[in-house]
Amino acid sequence: MRKISFRNDILPLKDKLFRLALRITFDRAEAEDIVQDTMIRVWNKRDEWEELDSIEAYCLTVARNLAIDRSQKSEAQNLSLTPETQEMPDALTPDRKFEQSEQLKIVHKLISELPEKQRTIIQLRDIEGKSYKEIADVLQITEEQVKINLFRARQRIKMKYNEIESYGL
Amino acid sequence: MDYKYIEQLLERYWNCETSVEEEQILRSFFHQKEIPAHLLRYKSLFVYQDAEKEVKLGDDFDRRILAEIERPVVKAKRLTLHSRFMPLFKAAAVMALLFTIGGVVKHSMGSGKADVVYVYDQFEDRTNDPQVAYEADSVKAPMKVTVKSQIEEK
Repeated sequence: MRKISFRNDILPLKDKLFRLALRITFDRAEAEDIVQDTMIRVWNKRDEWEELDSIEAYCLTVARNLAIDRSQKSEAQNLSLTPETQEMPDALTPDRKFEQSEQLKIVHKLISELPEKQRTIIQLRDIEGKSYKEIADVLQITEEQVKINLFRARQRIKMKYNEIESYGL
Repeated sequence: MDYKYIEQLLERYWNCETSVEEEQILRSFFHQKEIPAHLLRYKSLFVYQDAEKEVKLGDDFDRRILAEIERPVVKAKRLTLHSRFMPLFKAAAVMALLFTIGGVVKHSMGSGKADVVYVYDQFEDRTNDPQVAYEADSVKAPMKVTVKSQIEEK
């Protein structure tokens, strides 16, 4: 097997890890922290790199677990997701330049409202373009479950789209 | 233009039957300017998927993470016995060079100062001369003074 180098194989994953962490935590600073933690954890496990099937899947798994841990810790400070709070103007949306477009903001909100698992799968599939198998590796579930979750997520997005379309905003 | 293929892809996309490549085709399709009205509403979804790929970390992230990680590398792996003693080798080389230069200088000066050495030898030889004991000496002079004064008081 090819030798894995931190600089060439793991460091370039930073943006992917960052996007995944951001998708879960909705917070840039927090996501950046998570990526840093992930990198350091992966680095400390460098003796085991050779035994892994895919270092990328491993990094993504670590990042996701860290992100879930952290968002659960800060969950207590959050409002619970009742229908009222869902309708609130979303303070969740991070300030990103491309989201100046109202349309993209809506999509972002739609995806942000999904449960974490569906959100992560949408992120890995539709944004990072990963295969079902790779996603299953990252989430440590079966490919079948990945498909089911993705199906639910996409159906929900489609439904919301149709709602927006028929009632306007 | 016929949009049957795209519509079909879209339908399969909602049912999660598309491959990664087909989803890429959808994304590229929705990226173009002219999209028929009945498909336009989905444009933002696929544009969003593309746009999200551009979300990136700051430039200084690499530097920070490498600073965090490479410190132990330097300590644990890079330091060989040779590099560990390199400063000592350097110091030894400098000392050797200084001694060599010193030796050469001393040697060349030494031949010029042959007369002085001769005179110095004379002085040395005089220490064996009993006469020296009677001569005034700068070190002993204060002693003499005190001894004299004590005798005078008595």
